[in-house]
Amino acid sequence: MPLGTLDRDPPPFFRQGPSALSKLAVCSALALLLMVADARFKVMQPLRVVLATVLYPAQWLALRPVLAYQEVSQYFSSLSSIKAAQDEVIKKHILQSQRANQVEQLSLENERLRKLLGLRERVHAKALAAQVIYDAADPYSRKIVIDKGMADKVGLGSPVLDESGVLGQVTRVYPLVSEVTLITDRDQAIPVLNTRTGARGVAYGDASLHADAMELRFMAANADVAAGDLLTTSGVDGVYPPGLPVARVEKVERRVDAVFARIYCVPLSLVSGTGHVMVLEPMLSQVSPRPEPIAPTITSRKGGSK
Amino acid sequence: MIMRPGQQLLLPANPFFIWGSLIAAMLLNMLQNMGFWGRAGWVPDLLAVVLVFWTVHQPMRISIGGAFVFGLLMDVHQGGLLGQNALAYTVLSFFAITMHRRLLWFSVPSQAAQVFPLFAAAHAVELALRMATGGSFPGWLMLLAPVVEAALWPVASIILLAPQLRAPNPDANRPL
Repeated sequence: MPLGTLDRDPPPFFRQGPSALSKLAVCSALALLLMVADARFKVMQPLRVVLATVLYPAQWLALRPVLAYQEVSQYFSSLSSIKAAQDEVIKKHILQSQRANQVEQLSLENERLRKLLGLRERVHAKALAAQVIYDAADPYSRKIVIDKGMADKVGLGSPVLDESGVLGQVTRVYPLVSEVTLITDRDQAIPVLNTRTGARGVAYGDASLHADAMELRFMAANADVAAGDLLTTSGVDGVYPPGLPVARVEKVERRVDAVFARIYCVPLSLVSGTGHVMVLEPMLSQVSPRPEPIAPTITSRKGGSK
Repeated sequence: MIMRPGQQLLLPANPFFIWGSLIAAMLLNMLQNMGFWGRAGWVPDLLAVVLVFWTVHQPMRISIGGAFVFGLLMDVHQGGLLGQNALAYTVLSFFAITMHRRLLWFSVPSQAAQVFPLFAAAHAVELALRMATGGSFPGWLMLLAPVVEAALWPVASIILLAPQLRAPNPDANRPL
């Protein structure tokens, strides 16, 4: 009898597959690999899109009771509260209409003056209205999910606004929804302009110290920043259109031993409770591409000596 | 298998019910996030409870591979780091398998006390991963999450074992 014809498999009763320890090793290695590929190399978006598409019916189903509850509570909300809300809107509308009536004239004037000066016309971003479906469940970041995705041609990196200011930026696009990172997320930075002084800076999200606040970093300890200053987008980043309100300075701490002042800001948009948002197209698609950087003529001499 | 003194003889578990309960737990997790509490840190992870429950009761059917896949799905839903829940559920499922022969000899409240360290370990794994990759700390209330999950263990034992406690055709001479 030749070797190798004996059945070496264990009898079916003992056949239990690989041991738990080996399964643990394989699965944790796979999970670590996924995490590195996701956090370090950012190559896991296709897998995410596939899984999100698989998961979408479940999310749709889980959202039904929420929507039903909202509908019922809206139906039974009292007439008076709706009337109060309407009065509020009318009051706001009247306040705004005065300024809005001047816009036509001012924009015409602005256009003529710009032509006179030979400046570029201001770029106008295309806008898309969207609705916030829910807060993303991850408690370690500040993200929301909106109901427009690849199907509505939402671009990666698009700025997102609500009625009172900048809310955040689209950081992941799925077929039917997209994820917006709020400006209060720790990793989110936004270039801003102090409207009182005209000084530019960068504001970062600061979810650790305050609840949903921001911090204006890298301003010198003697910089002219005061509590109450309005920060708007500066438009130098090629993402956000200039002049959108972002935050208001709440507190300035100047320490003797520190080079930079600590400047706490409060975002103007309703980062934790907005319902409807507007997604703008990133400015980069409209401005002309940057010129190629001129290659440095002086090469570094590090280790290059003959 | 040795029968424990006073152990009730159970019907075989229906695989459709097992997978259905896991999917239902996932839907409830989503509902908690979308409808009630948003991204609060203390929200109990019902899917983790059901996963540990079935890994302890039916280790031949639900094991580490299934836990890994459900973890990936939760990761995509949460929008955090891809693989953090997968790793946490893998660890959870492994420890559940190592203790599944011992655990069922205890009464249900003492089982809950013994699975508490498992849930705490799973949350600790997630916290360590996210702190290492630069997430913001979700607040001290997140320490409540494993406590609530352990407190839900008796509830899970009642609900998830209910279909196996019925007799197929009971009669007076042969009660199950």
